[in-house]
Amino acid sequence: MNSANLIAGKHVVVTDFDGGEGILVDLNTKRYFQLNETAMIVWKGLEEGKSIGEIVADFTASYEVEHDRATLSVKRLLDSFQTYKLVSAK
Amino acid sequence: MARTEFRGWMPVDAVVVNGRPGLTWMNMADVRLTEPFFEQTVHRLQSQDPKPEERFTEFDALVQLEKTFDSVAPTGFIFHSSRCGSTLLANACRAIEGAIVLSEPPAVDKLIARFITDVDEHGTKANLYSIFLRGVVKALGQRRNGNERNLFVKFACCSVWQIERIQRLWPDVPWVFLYRDPVETIVSNLQNIPAWLQDEDHRVLASITGAATEAVATMNTAERCARALGSFYATANSVANDRALLLNYKQLSLAEITNVLNFFGVEPAAAELETIARQSQTYSKLISGERAFVADTDAKQRAAGAHVHEVAARWANEPYRLLEQKRLENQR
Repeated sequence: MNSANLIAGKHVVVTDFDGGEGILVDLNTKRYFQLNETAMIVWKGLEEGKSIGEIVADFTASYEVEHDRATLSVKRLLDSFQTYKLVSAK
Repeated sequence: MARTEFRGWMPVDAVVVNGRPGLTWMNMADVRLTEPFFEQTVHRLQSQDPKPEERFTEFDALVQLEKTFDSVAPTGFIFHSSRCGSTLLANACRAIEGAIVLSEPPAVDKLIARFITDVDEHGTKANLYSIFLRGVVKALGQRRNGNERNLFVKFACCSVWQIERIQRLWPDVPWVFLYRDPVETIVSNLQNIPAWLQDEDHRVLASITGAATEAVATMNTAERCARALGSFYATANSVANDRALLLNYKQLSLAEITNVLNFFGVEPAAAELETIARQSQTYSKLISGERAFVADTDAKQRAAGAHVHEVAARWANEPYRLLEQKRLENQR
């Protein structure tokens, strides 16, 4: 699966916590995942159906980080979401 | 799970079923929380025929449901050091039209206890329990008849120990800490020993008192109580901020109760003040309200033996004095 065409899994519930952080709940496995602020930006982008480019733009708008570095971080997070089967193909 | 199925259902306990932690829910759609304690309302319902429906869900259901509840945001929180008039204060909140008063609901208290009894290195579990706690309060604060406007939560005394976590979840909610002279409080707890002082899982008291669990197991009740009180006073003293009101039992009067309600942003109507005045003349923990309230400061002081004075002096008197000092400074 290419991370360019991913969406948040319907079996995953997200809840905000403590001013930007969040928890994902995988309803299939009953596993919980704690997300920091940056991971939450990526997850919310997925929920809104944004492309990687748009998520990276959100990232760089929120943090002082170079575009290439932001792209790398976003891709790594998407890989993690895929590993844990938290995302689906569009 | 159809989310609408849970409208009006309340989480009445936090339990573990077949190794799965979760919540027991009860259908309380048309139920008013009229008893002094949440648990008394649940027992009343369970003694009815037919009994209300109950269900178990794991916590993931709560996370899903939290977003669907139409709930009242918390208006004010009541923390206390035990046996100090907090039930009277909760009852006064209950006299306000459109108020939901959650008085020591077990699901809330048990989740708060898990901040102590179920921890991990990275704090992930603590964050999870915070989210569950927020969800449980939201579930308990559901609008069930449409005109609810205020939500007051009275926590169990041991919850003071986790007040910073609670404040992180609801930083803008005003809170009152009600407390009483340590000797009088210890005497009251010894006359009718509450569950929290008899808990055979000593981890909560160990955390509160700063002692080892083995040491808590060997302490007598008076010492456990004195050490816990010292910790409650010190904790309240250290975290009291501009959202906090410190209130001593000896201050309790209709005027002071009104002051607390005002502090919570509530202006009681004349009829509500009459109800509060009437309630304050009866014993607050009885459902029937038939037993008269008797001020017992002198009796409690006379009943205190040498050991009570000794443990109070060793563990609680100084934190109490410092808390009183802070209260009096805040009044100036």
